Amino acid sequence: MTIEQKRLDAARDDSAPWKKWGPYLSERQWGTVREDYSEGGNAWDYFTHDQSRSRAYRWGEDGIAGISDDKQQLCFALALWNGKDPILKERLFGLTNAEGNHGEDVKEYYFYLDSTPTHSYMKYLYKYPQAAFPYGKLIETSRKRSRTEFEYELLDTGVFDQNRYFDVFVEYAKATPEDLLIRITVHNRGPETADLHVLPTLWFRNAWSWHGAKDRPILRQFSATSTRGVVQAAYAAIGDRYLYSEGDAPFLFTENETNTQRIFGVPNRSPYVKDGINNFVVNGQAGAVNPEKTGTKVSAHHRISVKPGESRVIRLRLSDVAPAALARTNGAEGSPFGSAFEDVMEARLKDADEFYKAVIPDSVGSDGANVMRQALAGMMWSKQFYHYDVDKWLEERGSDPFKQNRKAQPRNEHWHHMYNGDVISMPDKWEYPWYAAWDLAFHCLALTMVDPDFGKSQLKLMLRERYIHPNGQIPAYEWNFGDVNPPVHAWATYFTYSLEKIKTGEGDKDWLKSSFQKLLLNFTWWVNRKDRTGQNVFEGGFLGLDNIGVFDRSSPLPTGGYLEQADGTAWMALFSQNMLQIAAELAKTDLDYVDMCLKFVEHFLWIATSMTQLGGEAGMWDEEDGFFYDVLRLPDGGAKRLKVRSMVGLLPLCATTMFDGSLLTQYPDLSERLRWFLESRPELRTTIHDPLKTGVAGRRMASILDEAKLRRVLEKMLDENEFLSEFGIRSLSRFHAQNPFVMNVGGREYRVDYLPAESDTGMFGGNSNWRGPIWMPVNALIIRALLQYYTYYGNDFTVECPTGSGRRMNLYQVAEEISRRLANIFLRGKDGRRPVYGGTHKFQDDPHWKDLVLFYEFFHGDNGAGLGASHQTGWTGVVARTMHLFATTTAEQMLMMGAKASVIEVQEGRDRATTDRRGIVTAGS
Amino acid sequence: MLTLPKHSISIYVDHESGQWIVRDGEGSFWSLPHTDRPWDDRQPYYPTEETELEPIPGHYRFLLGLPA
Repeated sequence: MTIEQKRLDAARDDSAPWKKWGPYLSERQWGTVREDYSEGGNAWDYFTHDQSRSRAYRWGEDGIAGISDDKQQLCFALALWNGKDPILKERLFGLTNAEGNHGEDVKEYYFYLDSTPTHSYMKYLYKYPQAAFPYGKLIETSRKRSRTEFEYELLDTGVFDQNRYFDVFVEYAKATPEDLLIRITVHNRGPETADLHVLPTLWFRNAWSWHGAKDRPILRQFSATSTRGVVQAAYAAIGDRYLYSEGDAPFLFTENETNTQRIFGVPNRSPYVKDGINNFVVNGQAGAVNPEKTGTKVSAHHRISVKPGESRVIRLRLSDVAPAALARTNGAEGSPFGSAFEDVMEARLKDADEFYKAVIPDSVGSDGANVMRQALAGMMWSKQFYHYDVDKWLEERGSDPFKQNRKAQPRNEHWHHMYNGDVISMPDKWEYPWYAAWDLAFHCLALTMVDPDFGKSQLKLMLRERYIHPNGQIPAYEWNFGDVNPPVHAWATYFTYSLEKIKTGEGDKDWLKSSFQKLLLNFTWWVNRKDRTGQNVFEGGFLGLDNIGVFDRSSPLPTGGYLEQADGTAWMALFSQNMLQIAAELAKTDLDYVDMCLKFVEHFLWIATSMTQLGGEAGMWDEEDGFFYDVLRLPDGGAKRLKVRSMVGLLPLCATTMFDGSLLTQYPDLSERLRWFLESRPELRTTIHDPLKTGVAGRRMASILDEAKLRRVLEKMLDENEFLSEFGIRSLSRFHAQNPFVMNVGGREYRVDYLPAESDTGMFGGNSNWRGPIWMPVNALIIRALLQYYTYYGNDFTVECPTGSGRRMNLYQVAEEISRRLANIFLRGKDGRRPVYGGTHKFQDDPHWKDLVLFYEFFHGDNGAGLGASHQTGWTGVVARTMHLFATTTAEQMLMMGAKASVIEVQEGRDRATTDRRGIVTAGS
Repeated sequence: MLTLPKHSISIYVDHESGQWIVRDGEGSFWSLPHTDRPWDDRQPYYPTEETELEPIPGHYRFLLGLPA
């Protein structure tokens, strides 16, 4: 067992709070819904980047390379000033949704290089230009660009020319759970000596201003000598903490309070306000910091000069140990920065190496290991303390649910029950610094590789009474908790349960039971709310696929009527299967769940049959095309297939799960009831895969697609002229490049073209595009489905892959091929280039850039270049799981293991060189 | 001290005078001077049709020392 694993165990059993401190600081709190108190709900314009340095936040904090405790009471982050910028660099800059030609976009270069799951070691890199940061140029140039042009990036401004920038590495190492060592290393990559102000900053989240709290926390200078300074952070809620700063850098104190003069035009009550340190350093306002050396925000002001090619190190320590005690425990040196400091730093890095060696198979190679480690580091760094008391927020906006004439709110007014105040995995801490339900489910695939407890906690959280709506709806995201995300929570729950069962030999059935109850509420919510006609065909709106439809699927249709959605219905078929899996697992030891097994078998069959049978000539399945489409039901009773070949039509393929049939043996009565049902409803077996038909090793399969339909859909999916890209499965068929889908309604043309890069419409903010690019989560689902089919059909079922190539593959090989193509987005190719960076020379060629990996939101459908949010390690981090999967198992093992195959793990403590492709264990079913 | 029912206070800023303005539960407007106890020292305020008041979030009431 690795040392880091022991820390995880200690955190789990509460014997040591190793996860109390972590990278829980957001990278953008401004422009969020929770900080928005505008009348119309324009969050981006209400609380701007320009205000953020001066205005205290209500719900959370942000910063660069920052950390906080798990309630975000005390925060630490890095601020910098190059002597030329108009403001301190205290937080990352980016364009708002309206400013960017493809929506919001962070305009900075920063990298999550490393993190263990307990954050015992973390490393982050920020690249800071030496010239004035081109804030205005980025905004102005982007405003002039159209939706058909590329985004204007920071590199395009020329500010990194001649390498005139600093590489600022920030490392954290925990000596104990409450004693954090901080090492900041500044490299000058430019040709000349350059000066830099480095301001490590400690502050309290402002909670006192908003509650009338009497116990206001305080920071005060404890001591200062020529070799070190100490700040004491005193707050009864968390106990005393000490920030040690090496050297004689003076401490600058101010208050984390709004500069009301600057923000509202009303004189300040105190001269020390949030931007006091900024005003002192940048504008030379001597009175802006408190000479009494006390406040709620403090920076150690280091002024350094770095020669070209050289580096300088700044060391700090944030600890619960007071100076006198630290001197005693730190030996003769009596210094917080003695040799023990470097020893701990090196030891924690070594622990991290050891931990990841146990996680990342050797067989992926050194570049593969680099990609996987940064993917997992990104997952860890994307944790954030997310705080949003919706009831309080609504009240502060003047809304009260118990008043008849309450003020209408632009969003979330039916979510009064909701209280968020937890560390949650974010999709992207700048672009999407709020959780999204279906993203979170996918995050768990990667999170559980390093920290199954954290993954499980995330799934639990969404089902807690503070989150799930009393009516059973799982919250979507803060822009509208009432939106509908694909129902993948049950799938992630069963996956995570199975993983734990493998690792510990025993699954957490209590958790599975309680999740099942809540998921049942959610399932029923879907059935009651999204099946308009009661015929088991579902709607759901955009369902996470933003602009994929010809119309905005979340708005009233221009034709009138409604859509029967192939994806919505397929998701519900998969949801039924996952609920069946859970019920079957629970029924092994609890007879009460047997009936629920039958319930979900039957429900799946109703849904699957509706998909393939209902509507006849205007049903979702198009026999001529061999593909599924949404169906438009018109007000006059007519119906029309919307023949857009997209991920919507591939998702029915994903609704498949293989069962080993053991429950039917255990409960003959169940077997008999199922047989009676199927024999008395023969129509339920004629257009879908026949569940009575057994496959390899007597297995059974729940699948919408029978073999004939499966072959036809695969033919399109694996055609390089349609869905199969060199870098994974596209969200829209390339067929539409030459054959756009066009529909005229009321004199207006609606169309869907193949757009492999960015969206050319403003639909859903215009910052995401599902009309061609490759998206990691749905590719992961396709891989899962192919493996399910493989374990049922076995080696005899082969298809041409790519279509027309003459190469035949079984479905394991197809899954592996897709996984390989996905990994190739990030891996260096034979030409030494990483497709994710496209034509960006700096990232392809520069030794200080080329091995830094960013996990974008989605990828160019033809060349794999990263697009959308640049740090959406969240669900793109799933690539670590798919790389791991095929590095640790073989087709033979997969076939042998059966339905459990989607959950595999390398056993610990074995000789990886000989067992990487052999020793695997499986979950129960 | 005046006790106001919950949710009844609205806060604004009058940019022209650079002062916080409060509308209490009975609909009366008050100007808050820049003192240590602004609510206690409040002065009647009479907005005109030309007055432009910017709404301020309700959570600022504690910052301004308004009654809870």
